[in-house]
Amino acid sequence: MVSKPVSGFCPFQQIGFYDCRFIMVNATKGLFISCDIPMAQFIVNMNAALPASQKFIIHVLDNTHFFVQPDVAGMIRSAISEFRDQNSYEKPT
Amino acid sequence: MPRVKIIAKNFMDMVASLPAIKLDMLYRNQFICEAILRSLPPLAKKYVLQMLYIDAPITCKSLQEWVLADGFSKHNVAIDRLVQLRVFEVTDRKKETTYKLNPTFQTSLRKHLIHGGILPREPMSPNVIAKLPTSEELDAYALEQWECFLLQLISSGQAEKSSSFGSSMMRIFQRGLLRQREKEAPRLTDCGFQFLLMDTNAQLWHVIREYISNSEEQGVDQADLIAFLLELSFHTTSEAYNLDTLTDDQTAMIKDLADLGLVKLQKGSKESWFIPTKLATNLSVSLADTTSRKQGFVVVETNFRIYAYSSSKLHCEILRLFSRVEYQLPNLIVGAITKESLYNAFDNGITAEQIVTFLQQNAHPRVAEKVPSVPENVSDQIRLWESDLKRVEMTPAHFYDEFHSRDVFEAASDFARIHSDLLWEDAKKMHMVVRAEINTLMLEHLHGKNR
Repeated sequence: MVSKPVSGFCPFQQIGFYDCRFIMVNATKGLFISCDIPMAQFIVNMNAALPASQKFIIHVLDNTHFFVQPDVAGMIRSAISEFRDQNSYEKPT
Repeated sequence: MPRVKIIAKNFMDMVASLPAIKLDMLYRNQFICEAILRSLPPLAKKYVLQMLYIDAPITCKSLQEWVLADGFSKHNVAIDRLVQLRVFEVTDRKKETTYKLNPTFQTSLRKHLIHGGILPREPMSPNVIAKLPTSEELDAYALEQWECFLLQLISSGQAEKSSSFGSSMMRIFQRGLLRQREKEAPRLTDCGFQFLLMDTNAQLWHVIREYISNSEEQGVDQADLIAFLLELSFHTTSEAYNLDTLTDDQTAMIKDLADLGLVKLQKGSKESWFIPTKLATNLSVSLADTTSRKQGFVVVETNFRIYAYSSSKLHCEILRLFSRVEYQLPNLIVGAITKESLYNAFDNGITAEQIVTFLQQNAHPRVAEKVPSVPENVSDQIRLWESDLKRVEMTPAHFYDEFHSRDVFEAASDFARIHSDLLWEDAKKMHMVVRAEINTLMLEHLHGKNR
């Protein structure tokens, strides 16, 4: 049995279907995020606040891991540091 | 302090990399032989001394009989070092290898042992010299020069008087220690911070090594410089030596050494002379790795305040790297460790471990006896603040689902696990996440499994 790769296109950046009669695996490219539970909630909250076209979470894997779209790394980091700075107070010199 | 040994060993590596002819010429000088002897590991020292009066070559096997069975690794390290420095000459005959002490090295060391070291120059007589500085004045001068140089090294523009080192030389020293971003003042890297944390001797060796590696481009012979430097370390402190006894190259080098604080140059009515300081004479001592603790000056309190009993600008600069300096009194620097100041330090690449080690090593004698010398809440908080910056980890990855059968899923997950690229998997739903790098391999593997 010879397997033929058949490429299919979907809106969520899939590499493609490999239709081989026996093996069919769906591969999605993105970013794997691992953090602690409070940060995870923060990310979920941030995702919910965005309009539908900009939502970046593809899968919620469990309560400390996510799979998101690949280009949001910078945005998440800056949002986290903004959140961290909101809690800081510096004594004026 | 094992660090000094590593830095000094780097210097010795440089010596070992000289061509054989130059090394032979170096070994004619008794002081260099002594310096090399000091820098050897203890077992190697023993071998050299044992072979000093043996003229016939010794076979490798009989050499091994000198060591117990569990010392073989040290034995091999020692032999390697000796061969590298060409102190041992190796002859490979058909049956076995034999070792013999380098004859030049052997004669020089024998002479040195019997006659004691005689320097090529005599200290000048007191009637020629008007007034010699006392040893305290000399120490103070050396310290001042060295600190000035360090200050200039880490932040140009802070030192009051600039040394005569050209800016290209300074840039060479700064290479690896400072990082310059565009439009910003050069900032210290974490290697630079490590450098500041080192012992003075280790710092000196590092600077001298850079200086010597550079001298080749200036056209000065490396071997001559190394010879002169090692000779200098055997002179007596606080004795004046005439500048006329030096060659041209050595005179040029002496001027640079004066800027570093190793010697003090003085001029009389007719003649000029140089006086080696403790920094110079300690150079050779530090080869043998004796620990010399300088006195600490920092008290850290549980309310995150730092009190540094020092009037040195260098210490102030170092503290400014990771703490907020609030007041500066004539003998005291008061500062506070704050989250913002630490974030600044972490931005520069300094780690929490380095900061805590610095505070512990430089603890004031009053608090140094307490265990721990830095309060635990301060050291813990510094580490917590560092980990706060690393709460979220992001890895480019691929997500696989819709596996046709459990076997395929298991095979894929084993494949990923072997390459340690499996990031997450859910066996029930048959989903997995692997690192992006393995994606093509994985798909080929799955594709290949089908055939």
